Amino acid sequence: MTRQSAEISQPAGFWAWLASLANPTRFMGIADRVIPWLAALSVALLVAGLYMCFTAPEDYQQGATVLIMFIHVPAAWLAMMCYSVMSISALGTLVWRHPLSDVSLRAAAPIGAAFTFISLVTGSLWGKPMWGTYWVWDARLTSVLVLFIIYLGIMALARAIEEPAQAAKSLAVITLVGFVNIPIIKFSVDWWNTLHQPASVSRFGRPAMDAAFLYPLLVMALAYTLIFFTLHLMNMRSEILKRRIRVMKLKAAEGVR
Amino acid sequence: MFGKYAAFIIPSYLVSALVVGGLTVWIMVQYRRRKAEIRELEARGIRRASSRER
Repeated sequence: MTRQSAEISQPAGFWAWLASLANPTRFMGIADRVIPWLAALSVALLVAGLYMCFTAPEDYQQGATVLIMFIHVPAAWLAMMCYSVMSISALGTLVWRHPLSDVSLRAAAPIGAAFTFISLVTGSLWGKPMWGTYWVWDARLTSVLVLFIIYLGIMALARAIEEPAQAAKSLAVITLVGFVNIPIIKFSVDWWNTLHQPASVSRFGRPAMDAAFLYPLLVMALAYTLIFFTLHLMNMRSEILKRRIRVMKLKAAEGVR
Repeated sequence: MFGKYAAFIIPSYLVSALVVGGLTVWIMVQYRRRKAEIRELEARGIRRASSRER
């Protein structure tokens, strides 16, 4: 093979790397190597973040309840980020037909549901001492509850359809339809009159928050993000095994016939 | 330690830890079970097409 033809046959950069992951066996090998490092980094960041949270001063208005912010806000960010990852995976299924897209979508759904649940519970526990109520049907809270229900719906649908190709398409379409809720959650505090405060970390490019609270929050957000990617890779690995078991059982059944 | 807000702060951290911890354990247990199931199927002589090619 000449040098020129070798260059042509090797697509460069990110897309080539992404294409190489289409092989689940190769993906499993990479995941096996990456997961321990990612998990260790997540734990280290979580420990550092928690130390920063518990040594941060009390807020002059909220008192010690500011501690809830450090776990509530990253959970809410992750709830939306996870859905965005699922939507990109849905595009991967429908547009590029990447074999791991459906695996990624299914693996992310329970993790997204868990972070949304944390965001709802911690928000509620923060709301009671600050607003005087655990719950109000305002735009932000209601749209996050809708996100939680969408996650549960996607998980239920994933279990309900037996045939993998048909399930992948249905899940991708439903996920993309549900994405309409993400900008609604993000901008609900600007579009409607809500009890929930507006964005305070990135307001006009400058955070409206003191560094004493901002740094622990950002470290916790990074820790949550790494936890998400670690769990996502772990669950993708498990999902691939589930598919292998299905294929093997089908082969075994064919052998019996 | 958290004064009058302890009843809100402690459950918040507990719920977060339990949910993330529970999810991690669930994912790990499921992965191990599936690995064991594959070993069992392979022991019965059932192979995937791609594993037979190797």
